[in-house]
Order: sequence, then C-alpha cells, then structure tokens
Amino acid sequence: MRMRTTMPNWGSGLAAGALLLAAWPPDASAQRLEKHFAVKGRPVVVIENVANGRIEVKAWKNQEVVLTEIQPSNKVGIETEQAGDRIDVIANVLDASAQPSEIEASFQLSVPEQTELRLKTQTGLIYVEQVVGDMELRSVAGDVHLKEVSGYIVVRTTGGSLVCTQCSGKLDFQSISGNAQILQPALNNVTLRTTSGNILFDGDFIRTGIYTMSSGKGNVEVRFSGNDSFDLLAQTTRGSVDNQAEPFLKPDSHGFKHLASKFTKGLFGTVGGGLAKVDLSSFSGTIRIRKRD
Amino acid sequence: MKCKEVGLAIEQEGLLPLPPAAKAHIAECGACRDMVEDFFAIVHAAHAMPAEVEPPARLWVSLRARLESEGIIRDLAGTPRGSWLQAISAFFRSRAVAAATVGLLILAGAFLEVRQTVNISQTEAPAVVQTGPSNEDIPTVLDPIEADLSNMMPANSMAAPVNDSLRQNLRIVNSFIADCKQRIQEDPQDDLAREYLNSAYQQKAELLAAMMDRGGSVN
Repeated sequence: MRMRTTMPNWGSGLAAGALLLAAWPPDASAQRLEKHFAVKGRPVVVIENVANGRIEVKAWKNQEVVLTEIQPSNKVGIETEQAGDRIDVIANVLDASAQPSEIEASFQLSVPEQTELRLKTQTGLIYVEQVVGDMELRSVAGDVHLKEVSGYIVVRTTGGSLVCTQCSGKLDFQSISGNAQILQPALNNVTLRTTSGNILFDGDFIRTGIYTMSSGKGNVEVRFSGNDSFDLLAQTTRGSVDNQAEPFLKPDSHGFKHLASKFTKGLFGTVGGGLAKVDLSSFSGTIRIRKRD
Repeated sequence: MKCKEVGLAIEQEGLLPLPPAAKAHIAECGACRDMVEDFFAIVHAAHAMPAEVEPPARLWVSLRARLESEGIIRDLAGTPRGSWLQAISAFFRSRAVAAATVGLLILAGAFLEVRQTVNISQTEAPAVVQTGPSNEDIPTVLDPIEADLSNMMPANSMAAPVNDSLRQNLRIVNSFIADCKQRIQEDPQDDLAREYLNSAYQQKAELLAAMMDRGGSVN
C-alpha cells in the first residue's frame, strides 16, 4: 500500500467529476489523504462511517483502488486495512463532545469497474457511478444516488432518498421516509418499500421481471412504455388508484383469477402479453399508472 | 385445544416439554406441527450461534472515566470492581437481548399470521381471520424500550442530526402504526392493512435497535 497526499486523479468523466467536486464542501482547512491499494481480481470495498460525511465511488480502468479521505478536523479516526482484495475502511468518532461539523469524514473512491461495495454512513450522500457488482448501501439521513450501476443492489435508509438512473440487475430498497426514483432502468427484479416516501418508476419492465412497489402514506407512480408486457395489480387501503392508462390495460387473460377484497380499492390488468409482474400497493397514498408519451 | 391456544401454551410454558393437550392437537394439525418444528429449528440454530465477543477491558475503563466525569456515577472506591463492570455489561446485554427479542417476536408473529391464514384457507374456515397474538404483544415489548431510549438517547451536539432523524422517523412509524391499527379495528379482515402493520412493527424494531446501537456507541 502506498500513501501520498495529492489531489485525486479521476481520469475519465471530467465533466461529471468537475460537477461533483464543485458540490464538495469547500473547506480549505480539510485534510486530504490519498491511499492506493493494488488489487488482482474483483475487490470488495467496505466503508463504515460512524461519523457524518459523503461517500463517492466511481469506476475506472485501473486495477487499483484509490481512496481519498477528507477530514475537516482530527476528531475522527480513520483506519484502513487491506487483506488481499478486501479493503476495509472504518471512520470512528474520537471526541464525543465534538461539534457536528467537526466529526465529518468524507471519502472519494476510484475502483475497478467490477467491484463489490458495502458502504455505510450516517448523513451525507452516497454516490456510486458505473460500478458493476453487488452492493449494500446504508444511510440514516443521507441520500443515495446511483448512476449506471449493475448488480444486486441493496439500499437501506431511514430518511434518505434513492435516485437510481440507468441501473440494471436487482434492486431492493427499504426506507421509512425516503423517496425512491428509478429512472430509465434495466432492472429485472425490483422491490421498493417506504413508509411515508414517494415512489416513481419511469422505465421499461423487462419480460419475466418482478416489480413490487409499496408505500404506506406516499404516492406510487409508474410510467411504462407502449412496448411493455406485464400483469398489473394495484391495491390500496385508504388511498386511490389513478389509472391514466386505461386504454392499454386489458383484463387479465391468464393465470390467477384475482378477487378484489371489498376492503381495498384496486385494479388488475394486463399490458401486452403480461410477461412481467408488477405489484403496486399503498395504504393511504395515490397509485398513479401512466403511459410515457 | 385450538391453534391459538397452542401458541399461547408454548409462549407460557416453553417448548419442552409440550403440554399433553398441545401434543394431541399437534398430532392432528399439520400447520401447528410445522410451526413447532420450525420453533425447534430456530432454537437449534440459536444454540449453534457463536457466543458474543467480550468487549475489550479498555472500553470499560474509558466508559467508567466518562461516566465519572459527567457525574453519572460517583467514586466507586470501596465497591468491588467486578460489580460495576458486571452492571454495565448486563445493561448492554439486556439491550441486545431486547432487540433480539423484538426481532424474534415479530418473526414469530408474522409466522403465526401466515400459518393461521394458510390454515383457514385450507379448511375453509369462517371468513373472520383470527388475529395472531403477535400484534397485541409487540407493543408490550417495544413501548418500554422506546421509553427507555427517549431517556437514554444522548443530548450532546455531536449526535444531534442523526438522532433527530431517527426520532423524526420513529414518530412517522408510530403515526403509521396508529393509522393501521385504527383501520384494522374498523375492518379486521383488511389483510393489506395488517401487512402494513406488521411491516411497520418490523421497521420500528429496527429503528429502536439502531437507536440502541447509537446510544451504546455514543455513550
């Protein structure tokens, strides 16, 4: 492992990188420390941030993990360890009487494209771009933004929201008050559950895919394309179903005969051949079904 | 003995030995037999789990120093050293046990719920779905933990943003639980509301466990 204190080299994607760096907290007194970890196969990167702060991960072509730590004060201790292709990073609070601004530790990572991630932070954004591999991302109050990632993606937040753009593979999101926005996905298995957040799924349903979206008090909105093929079940206890795609929804012509409970409002229907399965539910929120223009 | 009474008998008297009336019922009821077998599997798996790693001694030393500096505990001269260590250790253990209990209770509750629903649909029983004991029992476990936590959560500035978020989300879950319970009172057959209620209890247990962890790590 080599260590040096230099500015990070982000390689490709300069425009996006510049945008991200512009959004970085401009703290001149912050300490920056860059660490390099050579890896052979598909690395597993684990970051457990007990302090506050954001974590950014971007893929690059090099077979090396570069970690840049950014700390505004010395009240957070950061330990790193490499065991083969596993890299562990733990950020601990050293002074419990410190102010919130003093107990931040943020991380920028450049990783090989094929990398597995387990990231945990308290507040602050988790941003992952162009990484292929299973990932488990946990946050209390921070948002999670994913762009062009692929794999089995597990996201757990308490109040943080998820924005997933051009993601593929499987996605499992659970939150209490966080929203979920899934944009232009190629996901074949999706589970989104939130108690009071809103859910938006704007994209294609892959044939044989299974999509379950549920919000207690929030709204659930699905926008599908005319080429899609899926069976739809939408049900709500106290909310409403706003079906703006009635001409495209035919009665379910195959499979189970759905019997609506008299205690829930809902609809069943099929778009195309009904090859994917879409279950939408809410307790008191509105379920909106729309076809994209 | 009925299915619900088997659950109660196990809850009150344990799995071993099973009361004779429960044994007789289980011999005839496949759902309850499966349930008991699963309970044995859970107990077996629990026994197979490795023991918790003891925290290092330096943790207790720093904890003691902090508690003394904050005036929470006084000079312990004359008190056998083992006693306060054991007390603190027991404090943390009891919270871990409480969190595990909540998880198991919810698991068992959801399990009983599914079993009963399956049993009813298989035997074409009356339309009234029995409420499993779980939903009534869960608040008796969760509420004292919540009350303890509201006193325990540190008020220091360091943890404020995260703790505020946890508390705010706990209020959201509590409010949602109240809505679901009201709905189930109005319409006991509303399975969707019952699913939401179970899910909300699960979230509340996880939230309380997270708050316990923070309380432990910050304090």
